[in-house]
Amino acid sequence: MTEVVAVIRRHALGLLGSLLVACAVIAAVAAPILAPHDPLASDFAASLKPPGTPGHPFGTDQLGRDLCSRVLYGARIALFIGFCTVVLTALVGGLLGLVAGFFGGWPGAVLMRIADVQLSFPFVLLALTINAIVGLGLRNIIVSLSAAGWVVYARVVRGEVLSVKQRDYVQAATALGTGRSRVLFRHVLPNVAPSVIVVGSLQFSQFIVAEAAISFLGFGVQPPTPAWGSMLSESRDFLYVAWWLAAFPGAALALTALGINLVGDWLRDILDPKLRI
Amino acid sequence: MRAYLLSRLGQTALVIFLALTVVFFLVRLAGDPVLLFLPMDIQAKDVNEFRQRLGFNDPLIVQYGRFVAGAARGDFGESLRYKRDALGLVLERLPATLSLAGAALALTACVAVPAGVLSAVRRGSIWDHLGMTGAVLGQAIPGFWLGLMLIYVFSVRLGWLPTGGTGGLAHFVMPCVVLASFYSARMARLTRSSVLETLREEYVLTARAKGLAERFVIGKHTLKNSAIPIVTLAGLETAQLLGGAVITETIFAWPGVGRLTVQALLNRDFPVVLAAVFLISVTYTLINLGVDLLYGWLDPRTRREVAG
Repeated sequence: MTEVVAVIRRHALGLLGSLLVACAVIAAVAAPILAPHDPLASDFAASLKPPGTPGHPFGTDQLGRDLCSRVLYGARIALFIGFCTVVLTALVGGLLGLVAGFFGGWPGAVLMRIADVQLSFPFVLLALTINAIVGLGLRNIIVSLSAAGWVVYARVVRGEVLSVKQRDYVQAATALGTGRSRVLFRHVLPNVAPSVIVVGSLQFSQFIVAEAAISFLGFGVQPPTPAWGSMLSESRDFLYVAWWLAAFPGAALALTALGINLVGDWLRDILDPKLRI
Repeated sequence: MRAYLLSRLGQTALVIFLALTVVFFLVRLAGDPVLLFLPMDIQAKDVNEFRQRLGFNDPLIVQYGRFVAGAARGDFGESLRYKRDALGLVLERLPATLSLAGAALALTACVAVPAGVLSAVRRGSIWDHLGMTGAVLGQAIPGFWLGLMLIYVFSVRLGWLPTGGTGGLAHFVMPCVVLASFYSARMARLTRSSVLETLREEYVLTARAKGLAERFVIGKHTLKNSAIPIVTLAGLETAQLLGGAVITETIFAWPGVGRLTVQALLNRDFPVVLAAVFLISVTYTLINLGVDLLYGWLDPRTRREVAG
């Protein structure tokens, strides 16, 4: 019993984070079941009702749409965008970093110069610029965030590969005449994977917040799609009369980001304590 | 040292040139800005005349050559919206951004570094828990939401602070707090872990063993040796504040570079976008160079690497 208590205490923050993430995932997956109303159905007779109104626990917005349903559906959009972006950046950035670190030479050098150019811009501004160019909408925001975010993976993976390459077991495998692709995928890749997972979890919340910020500025996901960022953007016009329009979507965003950050820190402490992001 | 500086400046110039090239072609691929700036009922002949005047009818490579030749002289063309020199327009907004960034950075340094050091030195105490809880929250709460909530409480409800714009000191308070909350969270966590790492070093043990007062052990032996990661992050944060206060500037209607860039992107005012990109990447790379030079002062061992 005391052991259980000790384990819970040591991993308290990680568990809290997992709980928050679990809530967000449940909200996203079960939104159609949990939501009391259609998130897009407007009802002008019931516009701007405060939280606690019967049938509308979080109140309603200027068009009489149920805020609670919109926040629940918002989890769907946020997690979908975050997940797709993390997978896409991990694949593209990870693969490029792997190749650059393993084979070196001029492709690696060129790749790292490209990374330097990208890193000379603030992330949100870069994603915003790309989004303004490729256009609005759900698919394009994923493309923009990925185009701005793959660099971090490429850097971390390349650095890891460079050090793993020097380890004895890789040297031994090469000395035994193992083919290059086998060394790469059987001996190097598995040892780089923990860093990829840690970076991915820490990037996840950054992508979700960046998406919300970009939608907030009027790019990215467009109304009436219930994304947290565009909901916050609309709420600005009603701040004097309806605080709840800003409070609930923002709180959902902050709690989701908090949960993912806590899980990310936890994973880092377990998998890769030396990694500093 | 001089050779090092020259090669770094050369690399910086190359990076900026590449960044501008990429943005130039992306922007041209994005579509035709002309139609956005002309009235709806215009004749096709006039559209063509307008395009001719702006040089949009020439082959892309000719346009690019003209752009590079202009940019080298600091001429990014005329803003399509304001009919004024684009770089001048951006530079005009720079003081507002600089003053906000400076204030936010000062606040960050005053809050985050002492909080991080205290958390590390009194590890496991109530101060440590309080500081790190604050830091975790500060990192997770998005700035634009915090901004909206502050406006609701302090402007709408209490009426203590203006909702936005510039003017007196009161206008600085909320944007500054919003910016500093995120940056100090990162800074405090990094300071804590860096100081904890240094406290494990043998020279700290030696300093304690010879009976030095705790304030010397911390102030003289620990702090300077923990400073490298903190300075790196401070440099990064300065650079991000100068170019990346986009969202905070928009919420609080702050007339800085970030807000101008967003408006230019929304209006497809490409000369202004390119001039802003230029300014932001110049600041970013120069600050990184400054940080690298600071390492030499903090840790003389790195000087040889820097010089060689």
